[in-house]
Amino acid sequence: MKKIEAIIQPFKLEPVKEALQNIGIDGMTITEVRGHGRQKGHKEVYRGQEYNVDLLPKMKIELVVADARLNEVVQTLTTAARTGKIGDGKVFVYDVAEAIRIRNDDRGETAL
Amino acid sequence: MTTAEKLRFDPARGLEDRTLAVDAQVLSAWQGRLAPAVPAAAALIAVGGYGRRQLFPYSDIDLLLLFASDKAAMARKEEIAAFLQQLWDAGLRVSQSVRTPAECAELHDGNIELSISLLDQRYLAGDATVYGTLMEKLPRFVHGQRDALVRHLSHITRERHTRFNGTFHHLEPNIKEAPGGLRDLQLVSWLTQITGTTPRVFSPPVHVPELDEARRFLFSVRTCLHEQARRDSNVLTFDAQEWVAEQMGLEETAVMRDYFRSARAVHRSALAVLETEEARASSLFAQFRDRRSRVSNADFTVARERVYFRSPQQLEAEPELFLRLMQFVARHGMRLSLEAEQRMAAQLPAVRAHFLSPHPVWPALAEALALPNAALALRVAYETGALTALFPELERIDCLVIRDFFHRYTVDEHTLVAMQTLADLPQQKTAPVSSFAGLLSEIEQPAVLMFALLFHDVGKGAPREGHVDASLRLVDRAMERIQMPAQQCETIRFLIRHHLEMCATMNGRDPFDPATARHLAGIVGTVENLQRLTLVTYADISAVNPTVMTPWRAAQLWQLYLLTYNELTRELESERIEKAGSPEESAFLEGFPKRYLRTHTEADIALHMRLEKESRARGVAVDLEKLGSVYRVTLVTIDRPFLFATVAGTLSSFGMNILKAEAFANRHGTVLDTFSFADPLRTLELNPTEADRLRVTIERAVLGRTDVKQLLRSRPRIAPPSRKARIEPAVHFDDQASQSATLIQVVAEDRPGLLYDIASTISSLGASIDVVLIDTEAHKAIDVFYVTAERRKLTATKQEELRQALLAALVGHGGPPPASRSGSTDSDKQRAQ
Repeated sequence: MKKIEAIIQPFKLEPVKEALQNIGIDGMTITEVRGHGRQKGHKEVYRGQEYNVDLLPKMKIELVVADARLNEVVQTLTTAARTGKIGDGKVFVYDVAEAIRIRNDDRGETAL
Repeated sequence: MTTAEKLRFDPARGLEDRTLAVDAQVLSAWQGRLAPAVPAAAALIAVGGYGRRQLFPYSDIDLLLLFASDKAAMARKEEIAAFLQQLWDAGLRVSQSVRTPAECAELHDGNIELSISLLDQRYLAGDATVYGTLMEKLPRFVHGQRDALVRHLSHITRERHTRFNGTFHHLEPNIKEAPGGLRDLQLVSWLTQITGTTPRVFSPPVHVPELDEARRFLFSVRTCLHEQARRDSNVLTFDAQEWVAEQMGLEETAVMRDYFRSARAVHRSALAVLETEEARASSLFAQFRDRRSRVSNADFTVARERVYFRSPQQLEAEPELFLRLMQFVARHGMRLSLEAEQRMAAQLPAVRAHFLSPHPVWPALAEALALPNAALALRVAYETGALTALFPELERIDCLVIRDFFHRYTVDEHTLVAMQTLADLPQQKTAPVSSFAGLLSEIEQPAVLMFALLFHDVGKGAPREGHVDASLRLVDRAMERIQMPAQQCETIRFLIRHHLEMCATMNGRDPFDPATARHLAGIVGTVENLQRLTLVTYADISAVNPTVMTPWRAAQLWQLYLLTYNELTRELESERIEKAGSPEESAFLEGFPKRYLRTHTEADIALHMRLEKESRARGVAVDLEKLGSVYRVTLVTIDRPFLFATVAGTLSSFGMNILKAEAFANRHGTVLDTFSFADPLRTLELNPTEADRLRVTIERAVLGRTDVKQLLRSRPRIAPPSRKARIEPAVHFDDQASQSATLIQVVAEDRPGLLYDIASTISSLGASIDVVLIDTEAHKAIDVFYVTAERRKLTATKQEELRQALLAALVGHGGPPPASRSGSTDSDKQRAQ
């Protein structure tokens, strides 16, 4: 099993969710986060004074999938989240040792 | 037929039936186990819900075993255990206490719950003498400990309400414990019982007919819930809502609408009784509150922090008194007394009939909506039904449920919370929310925003139409009835039509794509509309549920505002009006930026053309009008050097704070200048002749017949702040910020005439001012000028020359007195041509 953690632009949340649902991925955790990578924030001038916008609003999506579906899910996610510009975000993939469904103690991929 | 089915018709009857059945089981166990062992000196009493004969399926059976003495009770321990065991074996969940009459008439922390439960006591069996002793002591005890009991009830109620965030608006409510639930219903009865009890007579539970419907509904739902769960479960979960709806033969949304209506009635009633009794129980508190009675006026009196009609019959004769009541509540932040609420309820049909025909309501309503406690006034008016009498359109959203996982509130509550959010903004001091507070302080008529919020979702009650279209249709009807001026109508229509736009843009478009800001700028048209729409969006999103407006989301909205603001102010002069209506109009408008048409109504344009005509003969024409809490001066003249400085200086000499300035010039060199300003010393309001003097002085100053410097010298000088607090003047230049102008930032100690000094220095060196942005932080002025010389950015030499001249003007002024300007001010002056 793999855990996919994606940091995406907030306005791409809906298209990403929809694309994942279309390939049968419904369960995910979404968090409002702030950060920057190479996009590095920017300066806004408002009424002659500069506003530093260091940390930009982003969305973090976390989901765990069976090994066999990893490539398909990552591909779907990146395609839906891409604008081609700096600031599109990143996807990280981790190994998952175990998954347990608390309700009935299901283990492994059946718990997903 | 299940109990639930029976309860659909008469829930109280079903509860009584169950009480009777349990009575039989309890009495049989008593006869079999305890009565033979204790033929005297003991009695069996039902307390709590069982005592009230309101026994729900699977609820606890509260019993009091009353013994003449501790010794007698200790001697019968085994028999008591056998008695209780029989009841448990029969499937009843018994909750018992064993006390003597003396213990029941004592108050200490350990038995206060028992004291409250005794209010619902009911004799079941046993020694009538022991029961008689209790009933002799009980009234004296309840009367003597009245204040302590009220304080305790108040404490546990407030604590319980806090656990539910003080609101009855929950998607999956606990119908017993949450505000407006069965505990609150009981609270009303207990408090009236406690206060009605005399040393000799124990008051029976008091029937409150207004709550009959709510009681019937809550009883039915609780019975259904207990039967479904087969235990004492009181949470109306989404699943339970489905089940209860099916049992009652209703839609789920209809069940929840009924629930919220019931909870609202119970909650209001509980709070009213609780606050009255709290005030009575605390004499010091009452004294403090009575000090507020000084705010009483010719129409209303205040006692114990509650508003009363001075003449109860007046509302009948004069329905417009309701509007003055709203203003009174909005000004002083106090709710209505029970008596005033009842009086209002009785007159609702008359109020409604009166306001159904067109009346000029807007000025009075706008005044109320601009006052500090406007949100409370609207809530009070809504809860009493008076607001719906004024605007029957609101009936459609009464307790209307939106079924999704985001909306915590019904549509009407969402509306009230949105208005409360807007009203609370000035108190928000932490970024990024404080930025929105800054925006609100610049809005000329916040009442317009409140009105737009009041109607933004009324269309949700019209299911077959898009809710925005329906809201627009309904608000048009309401605005026509209250005879709202055309300009405000247009703004409100704009805000309602586009109230979802910024949220949709935030969620669906790339904020850094220039097309996004262009798209939004195209919709709002002006900075003023952008500010209004941003505030309405902030309030609307915040009122979806208490956690949705995270700092993250606020920052996202603020970013969208900034990007659009910069798009709107970047290059406004690039698009010009080429041709307009009649030849006369064309002559006046040609060369104005197109923005002029977007920011002015036809009435404005007619006024400007009239001023232009007048100015031809006299060289200048000035108009002064009051717009809510601010004033606006409009002047038309031929462009001349120092014009901005002259008008700014004249206004300062009268002690006015300039909030905003705007200027347009047409092809023939005619200039139209508009200054919005506040009058912090209320000079114009208190001295009617001063308005004329101000107008004439501006005219004379513009024509060079009055020396502005002389005027400013006559302003009283205020002592400068201490040396430590003084601000060192600073001047910075920036060539990058604008495509066509050099930006000069001046930081200096604020003082009357500062703007005049800076502007006249710039003009004296042959530079022209394109845009002025004013900001004040305490006594520190931060003014930004967008300046050009011969329509180009300033050369390095010119910049240095200007820097020296400005510093000399700022330093050379000597010990500058502190500002006459106050608060945050801004100006956006566009000098076209």
